[in-house]
Amino acid sequence: MSRSGGQLPAPRADAYPGRVPDMLGWLRRHPWQADGLLALLLVALSYRQWQGDHPAAVATVSVLLAATVVPRRRYPVAAFAVAAAIGAVQIAIGVQPAGGPAQSDVGPLLGAALQPTVADAAILVLLYTLAAHRSRRVSITGLVICLVGAAAAVVRWAPAHTAHSGGAIFAAAVGLGGATLTAWVLGDSVAYRYRRVYYASLEERAARLEAERDAQARIARAAERARELEERRARVVDESAARLRRIERDLHDGAQVRLAALAMTLGEIKESLDTAGDADGGAGEEAAGRADDRARMRMLVAAAHRNAKETLVELRDLARGIHPPALDRGLGAALASVAKTSPVPVGLEVIITQRPSPAIEAIAYFCAAELLANVAKHSGASRAAIRVSEQDGRLLMTATDDGTGEAHLTPGGGLAGLLERVQTVDGRLGIDSPAGGPTVITIELPDHA
Amino acid sequence: MPPPLRIVIAEDAAIMRDGLTQTLTRRGHDVVAAVADAAALRQAVDTHLPDVAVIDVRMPPTHTDEGLRAAQSIHADHPQVGVLVFSQYIETQSAAELFAGAPGGVGYLLKDRVADVSEFIEAISRVANGGTVLDPEVVRQLLRASRRGDSLATLTPREREVLSLLAQGRSNNAIADTLVISPRVVEKHVASIFAKLGLAPSDNDNRRVIAALKYLDS
Repeated sequence: MSRSGGQLPAPRADAYPGRVPDMLGWLRRHPWQADGLLALLLVALSYRQWQGDHPAAVATVSVLLAATVVPRRRYPVAAFAVAAAIGAVQIAIGVQPAGGPAQSDVGPLLGAALQPTVADAAILVLLYTLAAHRSRRVSITGLVICLVGAAAAVVRWAPAHTAHSGGAIFAAAVGLGGATLTAWVLGDSVAYRYRRVYYASLEERAARLEAERDAQARIARAAERARELEERRARVVDESAARLRRIERDLHDGAQVRLAALAMTLGEIKESLDTAGDADGGAGEEAAGRADDRARMRMLVAAAHRNAKETLVELRDLARGIHPPALDRGLGAALASVAKTSPVPVGLEVIITQRPSPAIEAIAYFCAAELLANVAKHSGASRAAIRVSEQDGRLLMTATDDGTGEAHLTPGGGLAGLLERVQTVDGRLGIDSPAGGPTVITIELPDHA
Repeated sequence: MPPPLRIVIAEDAAIMRDGLTQTLTRRGHDVVAAVADAAALRQAVDTHLPDVAVIDVRMPPTHTDEGLRAAQSIHADHPQVGVLVFSQYIETQSAAELFAGAPGGVGYLLKDRVADVSEFIEAISRVANGGTVLDPEVVRQLLRASRRGDSLATLTPREREVLSLLAQGRSNNAIADTLVISPRVVEKHVASIFAKLGLAPSDNDNRRVIAALKYLDS
């Protein structure tokens, strides 16, 4: 995240038109070479001043001064300090260039060598660098040093003995001070531009970070909500499976058994009417009327008896659909019982070490029953296989048949119903059924809802 | 009037338990015990050694297959005691388990069958007398789901009817009565069925039920 530390960003190259940006771009990409060229330029400009008694010494100091600009970008403060120090020594012991009065008693060689040259412009370049790349506090310190130095230089070499001394001092002070200020202002304005860009980028980053934090918070909230909903769904699925089983048991212990008892009573009545039927005969209209009544009653009881028996069958089918009683003995036993009633031979393999939750067992059971019914109805298969196994805490059921294939999801169809059932617990349903078969249906369920 | 039977009833629903007790008593049988769970059933059978125990499959405590297990263990310990298991649901699987080790004295019926009282009592006495009773619904399922569809298809409709009744444990005479044909004709049909299915003929009703079951269920 903290990619750009305290350094100011590099200025943009595309602020200039045409071929200029190419050159400027190159200079910017190669700061060492650029500053080297600048140093060479300073040396070249100071060349004319390599004269007097000790031109080699003058040249050496000029070159040293010029050289301070080379590392200016990497070490602006150190480079400035070195250049300023040379300048200070020049003021202290240097002679005036071009044969001015030599007031130094340090020695003619050193005094001559330390005469000011054009290379002193390096100090201004370094002041500019300081203003552009370092904090205001540092650059103002540099500015004060330069102004003090400029003032000292003016005083040091003031032509006190000439006629127009006042004007000349003023001109020198304005020239040196102006140049110094200009260098600082130029550098500072560049720094200002850098800072503005920098602050803008900081603000942008802050806004981006905040947006990112917001998004992350939203994602976290959504994940939390999803987890909550998943838990709630699991509870609902489990509860509804338990409730269905309870309903089935209530039917079994209540309505079904009462109805069976009722049917038994009706059966007894029917049988006693049948056997008693012609016992008390008799003659005349009264006896004939009684016989009619009895026949009518026999008919009514027989109808009630038949109805009761049919209702028992309906009730049983209803209860079986609510909760398959075979599941009470486990998924394996329940599937074995489904496989047994399939007209197409079914190879059954159930390899599970622990029972899934009742809701999952029920889904697996209904899926297997539906798939086998499909095999019998549509596939034309001569055999089928159901395989149930565990994999990474999930229940895997594959139903295979050697039929004609081309099983697919149709809205409202059997497979679509299975998919819906499976999806209530985030399960998956895969269909692989090329034309000509074989068909492989894969169902993957969590071991609990 | 057949001789009275000594009967134990195991059924957790009081209304059915009492209804059966009254009905059987009215028909002259002796209900020596009527209990509501498998443990009490075991005790009653051990104490009374009845001719037959009529047992509901689902009983406390787990309401799953206590009755079936109890019937199997009673049959193992007291082969002379007939066991008639009846249930709201029937499973081919359970029937196969129940009949697997039993040559006779075993029955498996839907609870609905109590509605036809005389037939139900007839089934009880058949089991009490060492016969075999299998619910027509189980037979229907077996015939529908049998792997032997090809050979079954060679049977005539009448032969299929006979096979179905035979698998329910009916004797030749009973089949003759039901289909209103003569016992000799039934015998002929049975011989033809066994020949077509490649089964060894047997005069023993129970053994031929087992043979038919094995054939259909394999």
